[in-house]
Amino acid sequence: MSGAVLLETKALSKRFGGVVAANNIDFTVTEGELRCLIGPNGAGKSTLFSMLCGIQKADSGEIYAFGKRVTHRQAFHRVRRGLGLTFQSNRAFHDLSVAENLAIPRKPLHARSHQKAAERYRYALDAFGLDPADQTRSGELSHDQLQWLEIAMVLAGFPDLVMLDEPTAGMATEETNRTAEVLKALQDSGLTLLVVEHDMAFVRLVADSVTVLHQGTIFAEGTVEDITTSEAVRSIYLGKA
Amino acid sequence: MIQRSLRLIGGPADIGRTPLFWVGFAVAVAFFLLYPTQVSSFRASNVAYYLLNVPMGLGMALLWGYCGVLSFGHVAYFGIAAYLYGIIAGNMAGSSWGPLVGVGGGLLGCAIVAAIFGYFVFYARVQKWIIPILTLVFTLLLETFLGQTAGYQWRVGTVLLGGYNGMTGIPWFQLGGFVFEGYSFYYLCLGIVILTYFGLRMLMNAKFGQVVVAMREDELRTEMLGFDTRFRQCAVFVISAMLAGLSGLLYVQWGNYITPSQVGLLQAALPVVWTAVGGRTSLLAVVIATIVLNWLTYTLSSQGNQYAMVIIGGLLVVTMMFFPRGIVVMLAETIGRRPWRRRQAAEGRS
Repeated sequence: MSGAVLLETKALSKRFGGVVAANNIDFTVTEGELRCLIGPNGAGKSTLFSMLCGIQKADSGEIYAFGKRVTHRQAFHRVRRGLGLTFQSNRAFHDLSVAENLAIPRKPLHARSHQKAAERYRYALDAFGLDPADQTRSGELSHDQLQWLEIAMVLAGFPDLVMLDEPTAGMATEETNRTAEVLKALQDSGLTLLVVEHDMAFVRLVADSVTVLHQGTIFAEGTVEDITTSEAVRSIYLGKA
Repeated sequence: MIQRSLRLIGGPADIGRTPLFWVGFAVAVAFFLLYPTQVSSFRASNVAYYLLNVPMGLGMALLWGYCGVLSFGHVAYFGIAAYLYGIIAGNMAGSSWGPLVGVGGGLLGCAIVAAIFGYFVFYARVQKWIIPILTLVFTLLLETFLGQTAGYQWRVGTVLLGGYNGMTGIPWFQLGGFVFEGYSFYYLCLGIVILTYFGLRMLMNAKFGQVVVAMREDELRTEMLGFDTRFRQCAVFVISAMLAGLSGLLYVQWGNYITPSQVGLLQAALPVVWTAVGGRTSLLAVVIATIVLNWLTYTLSSQGNQYAMVIIGGLLVVTMMFFPRGIVVMLAETIGRRPWRRRQAAEGRS
């Protein structure tokens, strides 16, 4: 990828007592790419994700978003700069209507192209079959629809970089494929995506590049082919490394 | 402008959106408007007392019901505004501007104290369950402090704070030469209740209100949509405190006195009871509950019943057990005051 670096970490570290969850991680996400972050359980994916979006503070190291140092900035500041994210467990507002959920997100102060972002948002609504005037209580939606609603909520904030934590968790194959199609189309429209994912089939469908985390460090980086054919990566998933 | 206001008033943030509801609302307002013409000034004054508590109840609904933050010490702001008014208006006695400056000072004082308190609570991200304890401690400290202000040394200008006997002889509110007392005070209270209700209804149907409700539902999700939830919670806390202060200001007009017991434990519990019994997620429910429960308390007390507060407390327990969302809200839901929800939900499913 030759685009600008939208998200970057330098020597990012985090400990929980004696457990090293992130150890000197240098990591970048460049404009226009769809990068997947994978790794076995306990590899440090969620910790890195939390530090990137500002939910957890790093013990040391730096985080840069859109060229600005945001290491000590609150999470909402990062969102206002153009970051959007969904959580591992669905966190749409279940007691509010679909329309209310979609109306709440705040537009970032520095959206580079509102028109493009608005088009992406409208595309996602159509592709996911969501109606911004729908008064249905979102808690009554199916699991898949809720996942899609949360992605649409994030896009309603016109982000430049979207981070998704296991967006297809609990989805059937058909819905997973549909999600993959939409994410690829969003990427084609210029959106940058970072996806934390367990499902390798989904990773193969969407990823340009893959970062493998293992024991709090970056174990491998490369294309999907590089990673899926790597014996070393297979071995850590099987517990041999 | 008018169209936008009407749209905001008629939004989904509160129960009651049908034409039938608005007819009933108009009838209720007409009843309260005509009430003083049919009764003595004493009775009108009693109803004014019920009405003057409504802004504090609405503030509690805003903070607890819509924002999800329970304050068990909002009467502190009731007391702060009342004492500040007494001090300012008392020192400016003889000036027609004194009461107006007192009202401004009382509300400003509330806002400043609430902003400082809210800053430390919300910016420190204190857990929600601790906030009721902190707020209760604050009001009990205030009560204790005010209780020991007996004696001539505890005076501000010419006004004595009065210790447990309180501050007396507080001037009436007046605008220019017009003094609000008797029936005019009743109408002042009624006007403020109506304006506060509509103002909050508009606020909660606006984007600000949507975000406030979102914070109640999931604070982290709301922050991750780009909102500084600390600032917004603090803002809601300040607005809510100012509403409690507004009730305090009306209270000192009503009785021309204020005592530390008004910021004590018993008084601190009352707004929570009104809000819980009516239904904390509805402004209208809290208006109704505040008026009805104040009437009930007064009626029981005036008939020599020493257990008025025990009965009110029992009502709270019954509500929590059988009507967890509040009696008025659950009644409204039961008799189909929110058919639009079900109808639209059904349409959404199909």
